[in-house]
Amino acid sequence: MVMFATILIMSLLAVALCAAAFAAATRGEAQPEAQPERRLVLEPPRFFASPAAQPGEAPLVPVEVLLSQIERHVRLEQAAAEAYLDVPTRDSLHSRTTSPLLN
Amino acid sequence: MTDVQSDLLKGLSEEETARFLALGVPTRLAGRQTLFRLGTEADRAYLMVRGRIALTLPIRIRGAEEEVLVDEMQPGETVGWSGLVPPHRFTLNATAAIDSELLGFSRASVLDYFAAHPAVGYTVTRNLAGVIGHRLQVFQTMWLREMQRVVEQRYA
Repeated sequence: MVMFATILIMSLLAVALCAAAFAAATRGEAQPEAQPERRLVLEPPRFFASPAAQPGEAPLVPVEVLLSQIERHVRLEQAAAEAYLDVPTRDSLHSRTTSPLLN
Repeated sequence: MTDVQSDLLKGLSEEETARFLALGVPTRLAGRQTLFRLGTEADRAYLMVRGRIALTLPIRIRGAEEEVLVDEMQPGETVGWSGLVPPHRFTLNATAAIDSELLGFSRASVLDYFAAHPAVGYTVTRNLAGVIGHRLQVFQTMWLREMQRVVEQRYA
């Protein structure tokens, strides 16, 4: 009887150890699945605003309009540079233009 | 074509100007026609006679490549001086903005002529240095103005 009780206790102990080892191993595998949750927490809150409306982003200007603005900017900057070379002063070097890219 | 008033020919007599211009090969371009492309070998320089040539550089906008105007050449101005200056590669794209006419001077013919007429070679080369130097100064100033704005935006 004593021998039977000893074997039973030892078996229960072995099962408990196996269960503990299995639980530890499963916890280790589950960690990567927890990462997306952490990433979601780090994202800045948007407060219902659409991504396009975020501050700091320029509105989507048609390419033709953008090219025309760049062309105007280059002409004005070139004229400003020519004016500086005619009369080189610190003020004329950094004079403001009416470029649509700067205003 | 001998009535061309050019920044390249300042200081030459009428006779010297006429002889030098006689080296040029008339080149006619319709609007939007390409004169030369960035990166290609430059074996000749051009003198604008009539029209307008747009000098452009590629820029990436939203993943697509677009041509941006960086300068526009008028009659009398020199286009494509890379044809006379090493490493003889065009560094811009040149396209006729409207119907245009130019005189094309091959490097070989110009250098031969300069060897035979050193005084003309000296004057034209000095004028060319002035053209290149002015372009350098303009773009240096434009670059500095852009740098100033970058500094103001980044570190204001």
